[in-house]
Amino acid sequence: MAQSNNRILLEPAYVLHQRAYRDSSLLLEVFSYHHGRVGLIARGVKGKNNQHRGLLQPFVPLQLSWSGRGELQTVTDVEAIDSMHQLTGQVLLSGFYLNELLINLLHRHDPHSDLFDYYRYTLKQLDGITDSRNEAWVLQRSLRLFEKQLLQEIGYGLILDYAVDKGKEIEPRALYQYVLGQGPVQAVAETSAVSLFKGSSLLSFAEQRLDDPQSLKDAKHLTRMVLEHYLAGKKLHSRQLLQDLQRTTDTAMMYK
Amino acid sequence: MKQSSLIGELIEALRCLPGVGPKSAQRMAYHLLERDRDGARRLSVMLEQAAEKVGHCSSCRTLTEHEICSVCASQRRDRSLLCVVEMPTDVAAIEQSSVYSGLYFVLMGHLSPLDGIGPDQIGLDVLSARLAQGEIKEVILATNSTVEGEATAHYVAELARSHGVSASRIARGVPMGGELEYIDGGTLFHAMSSRQSI
Repeated sequence: MAQSNNRILLEPAYVLHQRAYRDSSLLLEVFSYHHGRVGLIARGVKGKNNQHRGLLQPFVPLQLSWSGRGELQTVTDVEAIDSMHQLTGQVLLSGFYLNELLINLLHRHDPHSDLFDYYRYTLKQLDGITDSRNEAWVLQRSLRLFEKQLLQEIGYGLILDYAVDKGKEIEPRALYQYVLGQGPVQAVAETSAVSLFKGSSLLSFAEQRLDDPQSLKDAKHLTRMVLEHYLAGKKLHSRQLLQDLQRTTDTAMMYK
Repeated sequence: MKQSSLIGELIEALRCLPGVGPKSAQRMAYHLLERDRDGARRLSVMLEQAAEKVGHCSSCRTLTEHEICSVCASQRRDRSLLCVVEMPTDVAAIEQSSVYSGLYFVLMGHLSPLDGIGPDQIGLDVLSARLAQGEIKEVILATNSTVEGEATAHYVAELARSHGVSASRIARGVPMGGELEYIDGGTLFHAMSSRQSI
């Protein structure tokens, strides 16, 4: 069956990833408002005087037009809207992490408009962060809330306000185990301590607070466990890079 | 007309060059065979020699046929300055402008987590060992002004600091002869935020 020629005009979008293709073209992985994740090709944009060249990068809010048929369609116009997000340093690497999650967990052509809005919101949050250590929790919190929203959007939403075995509300002081594909169950004595979450942490995550170190740590542990399951063995390179960077930064701190 | 298999293979071989499709490859092959046999012989000798002998400089990773490239071996360069660039072509560009007299380190790419390119793939283990020798006092980050270039610059800066070496980033802003009207917002943002008093 021949697909009809498709023409999309001025669609709000972000480039998630770009790689060079042939001499002067770029292959783009794009996250768009109405069409979800799409693969596009931008022809001839690497030329010396091409005005679109600087725009077709991650974290620039764009309005993209494209047309064509089949899996890989062609970019016809690029416009920047809004000012671009100025992510620097560690925050920039965290931005790559968001993109890597989206590329690995979203299917092409699945629209996720709410997630798109949340992605933009998260980038704005990250934009305000400088590298100072006091703001590390703003970054961590933004990442956890994005992960939670992402899981929600792809149909694997976390259950954080009641225990699935008894149907009772989460007790702040109790300890819970998180069963993949189900939700929190009250821990029994022999459960190993590593995979236990405090009730107060789950509630804090449910209410989008994450305002104390314990709940932030538990949320990180929880989303990592759940994401790892749905990534099905795919390794997140940006997470590895962030960990390497953290080690280097810690060594650098000794010289200050 | 059906081409003989040797010519066919030559055309196929020429297609490994960037930007050369079947048509250009055919034109090149016929030009070399019909009009420029000497050029063809010279090309084949040079290609063979270069492919055999050229490797990476053990000090800065740029391409050279020697163990140490001429810049690294020169006694006239400032050995306390190290400029980190992405590609050997960047070294050529900076050398041509003759604004810099220190040494280089060529990453042969940039960090790109989404392609699985991490610190070890761009030789940061080699750079780390070199910084540990203590000769270098300042690292100048001249990676491209793309998000990957920025990420790489940040990572290398932290690496430098972990060895107690100071790091600086080349400036970004309005190009020579540039008119503000035609400059993109991102560049203007950087030009404004890193303005200098005069």
